[in-house]
Amino acid sequence: MIPSIKRMGAIAGRILKQLRHDHRFVAISLVFPLAIIYFIKLVFDALASPFFDISVYVIPYAAFIVHFITFILTAIVLVRERTAGTLARMFVSGYNQIEIISGYLIAYTVLATAQSLMVLLELNLLFELGYGIKVMAEMYLVMWLLSILSMALGMLVSNFARNEGQVFPFIPLVVLSVILSGIILPVEQLPEWSQILSYLTPLYYTNEVLQELIKGKALVDDMAMLLRLPAYGLILLAMVTATLRERD
Amino acid sequence: MEISMNDHTSIHIQNLHKNFGKVQALKGVNLAVDSGQVFGLLGPNGAGKTTLIRLLIGATQPTSGNLSVLSLNPGKQKSALRQQIGYMPQSPALYEDLSPTDNIRFFGRAHHNGSLSKHVDEVLEFVGLSQRADDPVYKFSGGMKQRVSLACALVHQPKMLFLDEPTSGIDPKLREVFWEHFRELTATGVTIVVSTHQMDEALYCDKLAILHEGILLADDTPSNLLWNSRAKIKIWRGPEVSEHEVTNYPDALPGLLQKEGLDNAISRIEVEEDRLETIVLRMINKQIGEKNQGDRK
Repeated sequence: MIPSIKRMGAIAGRILKQLRHDHRFVAISLVFPLAIIYFIKLVFDALASPFFDISVYVIPYAAFIVHFITFILTAIVLVRERTAGTLARMFVSGYNQIEIISGYLIAYTVLATAQSLMVLLELNLLFELGYGIKVMAEMYLVMWLLSILSMALGMLVSNFARNEGQVFPFIPLVVLSVILSGIILPVEQLPEWSQILSYLTPLYYTNEVLQELIKGKALVDDMAMLLRLPAYGLILLAMVTATLRERD
Repeated sequence: MEISMNDHTSIHIQNLHKNFGKVQALKGVNLAVDSGQVFGLLGPNGAGKTTLIRLLIGATQPTSGNLSVLSLNPGKQKSALRQQIGYMPQSPALYEDLSPTDNIRFFGRAHHNGSLSKHVDEVLEFVGLSQRADDPVYKFSGGMKQRVSLACALVHQPKMLFLDEPTSGIDPKLREVFWEHFRELTATGVTIVVSTHQMDEALYCDKLAILHEGILLADDTPSNLLWNSRAKIKIWRGPEVSEHEVTNYPDALPGLLQKEGLDNAISRIEVEEDRLETIVLRMINKQIGEKNQGDRK
């Protein structure tokens, strides 16, 4: 069946309507990252020297928080659709894989847009990063793309989980990506075998681009840098589409 | 077994097998369902009722065998079929934070439907929920959720409805209301396939298929199943009583009385007919006995 924009819109509209009723979910998505970043600020204030370049660490950390929360929430919401039987009902009603995935992406992108913007504004305010509008806009684009990648990753994981409990084993893998992505240590200093794993985490590509932006390079100067995240996202979405099935 | 097919046949199933790993959920089922009837799938839990419904709606593929629903192959022509069928799963499968209107509208929008708002109002009226149309579903009782679920399955005016134990867990009064709804729908030409493990409900069906461990034990009208059942007949001659067991007792009784000698001494005749439950249990026990015999050989 050819995917229909109308049906994608129906799914996105339904999810947004649910979000309007689910204040707790929206609060967790928006307020939790801000609260954690504030906590990091308190820790940095107590530990770091005033001459320390904080932005090298704090921006990728914030990216990780966005990634982690978006990933978990998306995975759990989709598994809940499966366990409640509404996913099966969507399929039987005539919605197809591409429409379901696109509907979710459209709806949660609204949330991700607000989330990335709030996180970046808070970072700038708390840590007085002092970047110009252009750099901030580029960082925002990267953060926003990461949110969408995190959703896609959450969707992929949900396709392999039969219930919410089966999502939890994937959480340590996402936490591990802080080390693998090079936020704490440069990837080159990690064992060779784990460097292969680094290339699989979306956070690696995000950190790579963010570090370049922090150093003062512009996104448009390097097309490869600009396209890495969307390319990763497309591969991920293809995998999500291939694995989203009506279960036996 | 050959299944006869005519212009009125909506579902045609031939030698259908479905395996889940080593488990054989369906073992060579043959069935035909005519249009405009309520067709009941009766059997205990694990009989294969849900698997059969899932195969008919294209949610899973058969291991072998042929099936057609409304002249379409559910596995290969899934999207064309799904525009014409409605499905009500065992659990309500609704978005509980949304209202009945939102739920019905959402599932309705998956179909090509010109006047959705009108149809949403109609099905809400049909299931008697117009007054609660905008309340969130989580505030509803189990029975009300089932009504919303039925409305979701009906909103696109399907030609055929698949209902997987639609009345499980709801009170007898509401069950009657549901069956009234089903009758109203078949009167408009809709074919309904309904699974149940409740015997009293099975009697409401036009035709019944009795399943056990993936095997079709019988496929007949409830009255034929009862007609061919056994009956215990007790004939009193004063204080003396003679007991007889016959099948199809309306036909067998005259002969029995002729044999006994119908005279003034007969003071009372008692007929104790098998209930559907007994008939089904006997079929199941017979099948288990045959299976055990086969295993021993």
